[in-house]
Order: sequence, then structure tokens, then C-alpha cells
Amino acid sequence: MANTVTVNPVTRISGFLEIKAEVENGIIVDAKSSGLLFRGFEKMLQGRAPLDAIYFTQRICGICSTAHSMSSSLALESALNVQPDIHSRMIKEFVHGCEFIQNHLRHFYQYTLPDYIKGPDINPLYGVNHKDFRLPKYLNEELSRHYVDSLDYSRRAHDLLATLGGKAPHDHGIFVGGITSDIDISKLAKLKSILSGIGQFIEDAMIEDCNIIGQYYPEYYNLGVGDKNLMTYGVFNYPAFKGIHYTEAGIYLNGKHEVFDSVLIDEDIQKTWYTSENIINKPEGPYTEEDLNKQGAYSWVKAPRYKGHSMEVGPLARMFISGEYTRGISTMDRTMARVLEARKVIGIMQNILELIPQYQNKQRQYEMPDKAQGSGLIDTTRGALGHWLAIENKVIKNYSIITPSAWNLSPQDHTGMKGTVESALVGTNIEDINNPVEIGRIVRSFDPCISCATHVYGKNSASVEIRIM
Amino acid sequence: MSEFICPIIDSKNLTARGIMNLADNLQQQNKLNLIWLEATGCSGNIISMMNANNPNLYYFLKNIVNLKYNNSLMAAEGQGAYQQFLNTLETDFILVVEGAVATKAEGRYNIIASNNGLPVTAMEAVKLAGDKAKYIVAVGTCASYGGISAARPNPSGSVSLQEYLKKNILKVPGCPGHPEWIIGTIAHLVYFGMPELDEQGRPIIFYGITIHDRCSRRSYFDRGIFAEHLGEPECMFKLGCRGPITRTDCPIRKWNDHSNWPIGDNTPCIGCARQGFPDGMEPFVRY
Repeated sequence: MANTVTVNPVTRISGFLEIKAEVENGIIVDAKSSGLLFRGFEKMLQGRAPLDAIYFTQRICGICSTAHSMSSSLALESALNVQPDIHSRMIKEFVHGCEFIQNHLRHFYQYTLPDYIKGPDINPLYGVNHKDFRLPKYLNEELSRHYVDSLDYSRRAHDLLATLGGKAPHDHGIFVGGITSDIDISKLAKLKSILSGIGQFIEDAMIEDCNIIGQYYPEYYNLGVGDKNLMTYGVFNYPAFKGIHYTEAGIYLNGKHEVFDSVLIDEDIQKTWYTSENIINKPEGPYTEEDLNKQGAYSWVKAPRYKGHSMEVGPLARMFISGEYTRGISTMDRTMARVLEARKVIGIMQNILELIPQYQNKQRQYEMPDKAQGSGLIDTTRGALGHWLAIENKVIKNYSIITPSAWNLSPQDHTGMKGTVESALVGTNIEDINNPVEIGRIVRSFDPCISCATHVYGKNSASVEIRIM
Repeated sequence: MSEFICPIIDSKNLTARGIMNLADNLQQQNKLNLIWLEATGCSGNIISMMNANNPNLYYFLKNIVNLKYNNSLMAAEGQGAYQQFLNTLETDFILVVEGAVATKAEGRYNIIASNNGLPVTAMEAVKLAGDKAKYIVAVGTCASYGGISAARPNPSGSVSLQEYLKKNILKVPGCPGHPEWIIGTIAHLVYFGMPELDEQGRPIIFYGITIHDRCSRRSYFDRGIFAEHLGEPECMFKLGCRGPITRTDCPIRKWNDHSNWPIGDNTPCIGCARQGFPDGMEPFVRY
């Protein structure tokens, strides 16, 4: 007999997500992932001053705002034909690195850990429904202490970001041409000191804590596997600089590594609350309009596809494609890759400071072209993020965004292909249908950010938009 | 454990630490409850709260309030989580809302939970809690004024909390709100009741002066020395700085452990804590 299990809200994520699963004889046979927030950034950006997109698009997301200032400033650099020197690019990525650290710490301790341990004695952590807590008391207490300790380190990661970026969330420092501030000796000492402290915590606590979770919940190395198709746009991609190189863009599809080509990206709206002339569109357009009454639709998140495939993006995709972590693809591997990536990024950031101990910003006035277009594709904390921008009459004509969570949390497309999380859920054995703890654990391993799930809206059919999911 | 009033009788084997924990639990029961709803926004204010230091988030949750419902932090999920929201409505509680209220299509642009299979809109949850809360605090610029969620052409029909609830509320604007403004306001409610507010409902202790009043670059302004582009050390008035019309204590408090702030980063204030942000504050950077 089939039962429908609904989890809404999926808490401990950014934004609003519903998972509906059909369970037959204790096994998930079908799953639907629904993004339940629409803001319409694409439409809002039309007609605005292009440079303002850097600060504007950050407001899409409170936990990953710097991801958007990165992509947006890259898109503008390509549109304005600005080519920053390599040090300016690296320092900008350093600021982005601060966000990786902040995000990974918070995702592991505040969002993931309460799925596996009984948290510290503060209120929002009471009242859990399930009973599947397996750690012996002394370990549970230790990890619970680390939950509290981690708050100190994730806060410092944002201090690190603000030291060069002005404030966080929603930084000011990342801009066209690099960052707006300088690094002098006192900043250098501060940056190095904070980095070293966080690095120590990751080494001493976070990696070990993740290993402990893996030991006590070993079946999660076999759950939440999905289609095993991975993608990255690349990040910290400096092959000529040993120690600052992480990953270039790449694809892992049907068991084979491939070269990434952005032309092969499109978006399907069959099961989404949008309508347009075509079901499949290129990132740059055309516009789609909202329709909450559309038959069969169940999400505000569109379905981006690469060569027609739903792809997994995020730390595991990067670590796997770059060869840094190839143990497997699963819920626990995803979490493990995120934790190990935090260590990797700290190392890269330290090496950037070794290479560039002093920095003088290279800002100048930028001339806005009458007409131009550009794109900024880069991997961010949650995976592949793309901004596409068109300028006309010196203002934004169209702005499109495809976020990492659109890749991971997409609904089905017109061929019936499921989104990445949906397929990762199918086949999962649910122990207790009244407390389906497995669903939340699998979904959270993707670090969903539905705040980023906004889309286009409008009547002006010549133009397009911005999709942010 | 919380059901006994006196922990001693049944607990001869308890350690001193155990007794203290029980006492702590009792104290917890006496704290004011807090519902922190995330609505149409970026959920960046709760992230900003995690940046709090002295008191940090843990101290705030352990000693100042009982956080009963928050999407980003709570351990419970699904119906169990929403049930905690419903249960708290029958108690004395503070309601914090971050994010604007999306009103288009009866609020269906923002669903925050499913209650026995039926979707619950943020609009509906805000109303339920807003009718019963002891205090209502709009945190962040979206909840305070509509903010970026209501930016033209306002695709989700977002409005401020006050406009939706039609009652006076406290406002802690900022994009995001500074954790010390948020904790300071809530702590004031818990310990002393209402803080002194300005005509818009903002606590005067945090929003009493303009950024321009205390700006570290004020002497450049007074002498007429202006930056020509971002990245320069002088006054950024001519680049579009909104410091003269934005009331917050950013110049003296600064952000993230008092470490830096936008003007300290050689960029103009964009008026993110002000009514009219973002439409009335653009362009953010004037070249």
C-alpha cells in the first residue's frame, strides 16, 4: 500500500522547501521537491543601473550573498570588458573563500548535526520527533559542545569576510575589478590569525566529528546516491599556482569525465509554476510568467539541465571531479566532502596570503557601455552559480540567474526525468513512516538554499530575466 | 525532568551539576518565548544573529529567550515543527518576523509549512501569531518597510509587517539587521519592556543619529574633499553615499565584531536600513 509522506517545512535549510514522498512497503518509490518561495529578482533588476546588480543580487540569499556578488561582478567584468590582474582576482576569491568557511561550518554544525545528535540544551533544538540517535553519551556530549563552539568560528569567518568586504551578510567589497579595500600589515596579521584559528578547529573538531557521524550511521554511505551525474563551473582555478589551484570546470556524466560547455545548459519549466512559449529555454531567455494554477506544476524552482540531464552540484561534485575525494557518491560522502573542502579552502586562502601579503585596490570609474552582455559562471559554496546579463541604454535589460539549488532541487522535466534530490530519495528505505528522518538527512546533505529560488515575471516579452533559484 | 518542581527529593543520586542543570531548566521555563518567522526575504537576519558576540547566539538562546520556532535553527521538521509554532501561540511570546509579507495570490508566493496536508502561507502564519503576540518586532528592512522584496515592480506583492498587520510594531531595519540591534531590542523587551522609539517605531538607542553625524570621513566632507571612485579614502558623498539620510549607529558600532563597515571598506552607504531601500536609494554607486 502506498503512503504519501510530506515533510514541510524542511527546517535547517535556507528558505522554504517541501518534500513529498510516495512510500510503498517501506521504500520511497516517488519523490517531489517543491520550492515554495517566489520573489522575482529577475524582473526587479530590469531597468536598474548595471553596477548596482552586485549589491542587489546579494539580497537573494542571506547565507550565500557573496556567491552572488562574485558571479555578478564576473558577469559585469565580462560585459564591460574589464580584465583584473591576477592578484585582484585572487583576493576577490579570498573573500569568497570566507563564505565557504562560514557556510560549511554552519551547514555542518547548525543544519546537519541535529539530524544525528541530541543538541545542546537550548530551545530550538528540543522537540525532535524521531528517536534514531546512536552516539554514546560521551560522544554526543562532545559533538554537542562543538555545536556551541562552532558558533564562535563561523562568526569569525564572517569577521574575516568583513575585514576585506565591509560587512557580512551582504558585503560591499567585492566589485568590478577586484575588491575595494587594501591589505596592509595589520589586516594581514588579523586575516592570518583568524584563518589559523578556524583551520585548527576544522582539523581538530569538524573532520573528526564528521568521521564519528559516519561511523555510527554507516548506511548513509549507501543512501541518497542519486544519478551520479556531477558538474562544476570551477573555482580557485589557478593551475599555474600550486597550492592555489582547486578545480576547473568539469562534468562527470554516466560514469565518464567530460569537458564542460556552457552552451549545453538549458531550463525546463514543465512542472513549474511558470509559463512561456517553449517548455525549454536557454539561460538568457525568453521570459516566463507565473501561473499558480498550472496543471501538474509543483515548484517555483525551474529545472536546469545539462545535455538534458539533471546534475548534482556542490562540494562533492567539486571534490570528485578534481580527484580530491573519490570514495563514493552518497549522503555521507556529500557531508564528508563538504567538511574536507573546508580544510582545502582554508589552505588555499593561506596560500593566497603568502603570495599576496600586501594589496592596493585597483578601483577606478567604469564607463557603462550603451549595449553589452556578459556572464559570470563560478562554483560557490553550494555549487555551480551562473549570472547572465544584458545591458541596453546603459541599464539592465535582462538578468538571468541559475543557482546551485536549482540544479540540486529541481522538479521533474518534460521527459519525466527527476531532479537530483528527487532521484536521490527514490529507493530509500523508511524505517518509521511517522518519523521519516531519512528524508531530511538526505535532502540536507545537498545544503538546499530555496531563498535563491525566485524567478521571472513580466509582460515585456522582448526581454528576459533573471532566474534565481 | 522538567515536570518536578523540587529536584532534590527524587534525585539523591544527582550530581551538583545535575541539580544546576535542573535549576537552569526551570529558569528556562520562565523566559519569554520567541517565535522567529522567516517570510519573504533571504533569511539573512537569522544568519546575522549567528554573528552575534557578547552575547552570542548561544547565550541569547540560553539566557534571554526561549526560541520556540525558527526555520533555520530548529531541530524538529515537518508537522512536528509547525506544531511547536501552534503550541507557542497559547503562551506569552515575542514575535519576530524577518522578510516582507507576500500578499499576491492570497499569499501563495510564500508557503512556510504544511499543516495536516494543507499549505500554510507566511501571510497566514504572521496573522495568527501577530494577533496573539505580546510584542511584535520587524527585523530587517524587508519586514520593516518591504525592502528589496518589495522592489519595483514588486512581483510578489510584498508589504511591510506593519502595513499587513495594521498595528504598531517595533522596527529593527537594516539589510541585514545588526545582531546587536536585534538582541539589544529583544533584551530590552525582556528586561525593561518597551524601549524608547522614534516616530517610525525604531529604538532610538540604535537609530537616533544619521550615519553622516558620526561618519569617520566627516572631516573630508566638511573640507569638501571627495572620492572619485570606490577604493579611495575620502568622503563618498559624490558617489551617492546615503549616510546623510540613513539613521543607524554603523559608524561607531561597525559590523562583524566591530571590525569594519561599508564606508570603512571604501564604498558608499547604500541606505540599506532606510525606508525606500532599494528603489529610492539607487544608484548605489554613481559614476
